[in-house]
Formats: sequence, C-alpha cells, structure tokens
Amino acid sequence: MKVEKVMRTDLISGLAVSVVGIAGFVEALRMPRFEARNADPFTVPGLTPGIVSFVIAVLGLMLVLRALAGRGASETLPIGVWPEGSVKRTLFTIATVVIYGGALFGRMPFIAATTLFVFVFTVGAEWLNPQRRMGLPVLAGWALALSLVAAFVIHYVFTTVFHVRLPG
Amino acid sequence: MDGLNQFLGAVVAIGMSADMLVVVWATLLGIVVGMIPGLTATLGVALVTTLTFTMEQNTAILVLICVYIGAIYGGGRTAILLNIPGTPANAASALDGFPLAKQGRAGEAMAVATSGSFLGTMVGMVGLALIAPWLAEFALDFTSFEFFWLAVFGIVLCGQLTSMDDPLKGWIAGFLGLLVAMVGQESLHAYSRYSYGILDLEAGFGLLPVLVGAFGCAEVFVVMRQEATTLVASQVGGVLRSALKSFRYVRTWLRSGVIGTFMGVVPGVGEDMGAWVSYAAAKRASKTPDDFGKGSTDGLLAAETGNNAAVPGALIPVLTLAIPGSAPAAVLLAAMVIHGLRPGPLIMITQADFFYSVVAMVFWASVAMLVLGLLLTRPLLLILKVRREWLMGIIFVLCAVGSFAIAGRLFDVWVMIGFGLIGFLMRETGFPIAPMILGVVLGPILDNNFRRSLSLTQGDPIPFVTRPISAVIALLVLLMIVLALPPVRRMLGQAKVRLLEGRRADG
Repeated sequence: MKVEKVMRTDLISGLAVSVVGIAGFVEALRMPRFEARNADPFTVPGLTPGIVSFVIAVLGLMLVLRALAGRGASETLPIGVWPEGSVKRTLFTIATVVIYGGALFGRMPFIAATTLFVFVFTVGAEWLNPQRRMGLPVLAGWALALSLVAAFVIHYVFTTVFHVRLPG
Repeated sequence: MDGLNQFLGAVVAIGMSADMLVVVWATLLGIVVGMIPGLTATLGVALVTTLTFTMEQNTAILVLICVYIGAIYGGGRTAILLNIPGTPANAASALDGFPLAKQGRAGEAMAVATSGSFLGTMVGMVGLALIAPWLAEFALDFTSFEFFWLAVFGIVLCGQLTSMDDPLKGWIAGFLGLLVAMVGQESLHAYSRYSYGILDLEAGFGLLPVLVGAFGCAEVFVVMRQEATTLVASQVGGVLRSALKSFRYVRTWLRSGVIGTFMGVVPGVGEDMGAWVSYAAAKRASKTPDDFGKGSTDGLLAAETGNNAAVPGALIPVLTLAIPGSAPAAVLLAAMVIHGLRPGPLIMITQADFFYSVVAMVFWASVAMLVLGLLLTRPLLLILKVRREWLMGIIFVLCAVGSFAIAGRLFDVWVMIGFGLIGFLMRETGFPIAPMILGVVLGPILDNNFRRSLSLTQGDPIPFVTRPISAVIALLVLLMIVLALPPVRRMLGQAKVRLLEGRRADG
C-alpha cells in the first residue's frame, strides 16, 4: 500500500474524529447546570463528556497534523487494498445483515425471517465464490436445508432449552 | 493456608458434582467457538451469557470461564492448520504453527499448543490465587480519586499496548469508547446525555450489544472480505508423545506464563498481547532466534502459553477492581453483575468462597481443555472443513439473537449492527477495538469518580496529584504519554542502537 494512501486515510480519520470531538464538546456545553436546584457546579452532567470530547478533538487534530506532515504512516492499513471479489462479498454481507437485523428481525416470525436470511446469505455468498463447485439447483437445495435446520435449532435451543424469549 | 484449603475444597466440590459434565460440554463448546474463524472468545462468552440467564449463579460463571479458556485455546488450531488465527489471541501462534503444519508436523504443533495452553493457564491460575487477594486488600484504600486515575491509566495503557506502532490511534479509540459510555442517563442528576428524547438512547448503549457488534458482527465482515483459505494436509499423529515433550521447556513456559499473567492483569490488554510479548521474549532468550517464524516449537509454545496465561490474569482486575483485563473478561464482568455478583475490592471479605470457586473453575477448565485437546485431535479437525459461506450467516443470526436476548429490545440489534460497521471501519483504518470497549466499560467509573472527587474538594484538583496512590498512578500515566511521544521514541530507539553497537564492539 502506498504511503500517500495511508496519509489520506489518517487525514480523513483524523477529521472525522475531530468532528465527533467538537460536536460532543458543543453538546456538553449545552447540557443543563441545574443552577435553579443549587446543584454543585462540579457535578454537572456536561463536565466529563465535555472534557472527554475536548481530548478527542485534540487527538483527532493531532492525527490530521501528523498526516499533513507526512509522518506516522504504516504500511499495513487494510483499507487500501480492495480486490474486486472483496468489494462484492463485503457489500453483499453488509446489505444482507442490515436487511435482516434492521428490517426482518422482530418484524417477521423468527423462524421465517431466519430461514430467509440464512438461505439468501448462503446462496449469495457461494454464488460470489469463484471456487464454487455446485450448480444453482443443488446449492439452493442444500442452502434451504441448512437454513431450515439452523432456524429451528436456534429457536429450540434458545426458547425451550434456555428459556430465552425471541421476537416474532 | 486458609486460601489453599478453600481452593482445594472448591476443587473437590466441583470435581464431585454434576458440574463436571458442565465443565466438559462448556470447554468443548469453547474450543469449537475458538476454532471457527469469525467466532472470537469475546463473542463466544457474550452469546453463551444469554444462555446462562436461567442457570444457578456459580454454574453460569463456570460455563462462561470454561468457554473463555476453551475458545482462547481452540483458536490455536485454526492458526496452525489454516494460518488464520481463530481468535486474535492466536495470531502469534500462526507464525510458527503454520510452518510446522506445512512441514508435516501438525500433530506435534497441536500437541505443543495444547500443553502450552494448559501450562499457561496453570501459571495464570497460581497468579490469580496469589495476586488477587493481595490486590483486593490494597484496593480497599482506593477512594474516588484513585478509581478515576485507574480508569485513565487503563485507557492510556490499553491504547498504547494494543497499538504499539501508533499509540495515538489507540488513545483515540479509548476516548471514543468513553464518549460512547456517556450516552444515556447519568447517575448524579438522572439527566439523559446525548439522547435527544429517544427513549432507547436514554438507557445508554448496552455493553453486550456493543461488544457483540464490535467483535462478532465486525468479524463476520472481516472474514467475508478476505480471500478463502485452505486446510493444510498434514500429519496429525504422535500428539500425546509430543505433548509430554513440551513440559521439558521449563524456562519457556514459566517465562511465558508469568508474562501472560501480567499482560492479563493490565486493563483491556489481554490475551493477544500476552501471546505477542511472550513470543518476543522467547525469541530474545532463544539460542536459535533465526528459527522463529520458520516452525519453532519454542515460539509456538511461548505464544500459546502466553495467551492462555492471560485468561486467569485478566480475571484478577475483574474480581478485585471490577475492571476487565481483556475484552472477554469485560463480558464476564457484565455476566457476573447480571447474575447478582458484586466484583470489587470487597470480594475477599464478602465473597471469598466465590473467589476460590473461580480459581477452582479455572483449574477444571484447563484440565478439560488438556484432555479434550489431546483426545479429540482428529474429530475437531472436521470443524475446520466447514466453509465460511455456510457458516457466517448463522454466526450473524447468533449475534442478533444474543444482542436481543439480553433485554428483549430490538434497539440492541441495531446497536450491534452499528458497532459492527464501526468496528469493521476501525480495523480497516488501523484503530484497535479493545481500547474502545475498555472505554465503554470504564466510562461510568471515570465519570462518577471524577465528579464525586471534585465535589468533595469543592473543585480543588490538587488532591488528584497529592494523595500518595493517586500521585503514583498519575505519574505512571504521564510517563506512558511522554514515552509514546515521537521525539522520545526516536531518542530511545537511537540509544538502543548505540547500546547494541557498543556491546558488539566489546564482544
């Protein structure tokens, strides 16, 4: 990975961290001081978050300055290396887990949602795998079997064996 | 002597009870969890915590300790046979374990890893039994000033040690964790910080969803991002014979055990650093340092001893200060609180029996790990043949279920996914995750003790640096920061080179 790419990553990370720190600090200043209640000024809710946010903003700024000065580069940041296969697999994984966790989980019966997710994830991930040996019908058959078994076993173990409530 | 009697009593009590069955299945579950890339020890302990809700207090903690020890050990198998560590703690094991497997000596490597893990846990267990009572007594003198500094010390040290090349990023991660902990209702005025009227945010971010997200969900993304790996075809015979041979390397396992235990005690640092520092020390002490990285049994033994010794080491601050020594220990701490236990300086006064039970649990878990590890070498290899494409979906379902089950809130599932994405991004950009998690755990301790101290002194900050214990911890924090400054690091590096050159010239 080129050093410039690492610097750019550090620069962007540093800016993002500084923004979080500044936002946290401003919010901490806006927190109430409870003067009307005669509260001890050293116990006000914004004190610690304000200091923590200030430190974050300073550390973020140090990262920005370091990147601008071209120092502190590491040769091993993974973000700079994205082969096509990695991009596809990562985007597919993020999309499926966000849909399952954000939209299906808790809004559909657990067994149906989980069967659907595991089936789609398995078929999709295998489809993106260049070393795949199975044809689509066989793959779909095995993935369906896996997803049904996984959904029923997880549901049984959590609800019946360990008495944990599941949604749906 | 009292302590030894209590420990032996606890060992016999567990050994003669039905809990032995629990020891076997929980340790085996831990080994399997550790072996599967994408399932870390932290995630394993977090997921199993949800299964222990209805269990009796001691049984629940026994299950979690067995899973913890088993998982740290199990990850070594994956490191040896796939060249990818099953858990981050086994990364150093891959350096020599995989070359050994490629040379057709996988059986020997697994035997060395098994005996090393056993010996490491035993050394750590002795450390736990000896150091924890002393530390608990010492911590009785701690007031809010000392606890504040202890939290700062934890963040600074963890940030520095988990990101050796770039402490700045480690500190940023730690302070971001502290900020995350500030979200929700604070304890002195019941004011909801950073909540914006959102009811779910008023309760703050739960530790377990954050942990499962940052370590479990993020791991799913990382595993799917990487290229597929292949299992090394290798000789797995002669395991028992090779295991016995490892016991002869007394210096290596004793040194690594002590280093691992110490790294476990350091807040938030844990097993990974236990393995790396032990490995580096073994290389420095070796007569054949050039063999390291090419299949050195000494190197593998050091790494596996170091990471498993860190497990009991990490329990020392958990039990005596309620501060976790590692990420899985943070989950264990949360689980103890869920089960009504109160770790902290008073543990040796109010719950001494429980403390010695924990030591006995570590003993039985390490015995089970040794027996299962040596007897089930071949059957356990089958787990590594499962393809990630068929496994990762199910692992994510477990992450979602585990996060939901703690409080029955869908919000926790979203938090888990959110922190999964944040954790993934942090790993991609070179920020360590452990300091962030430690920040989330230490946030309330730092906040409450800081404001309580200032209130006691009417805003006078002088006692923070004049009380003896506070002053020592403050000095250590300052020293760590100064030593991490680039000009100081450069100066120290140059001095080291001059010293080595001088020695060479003398020799």
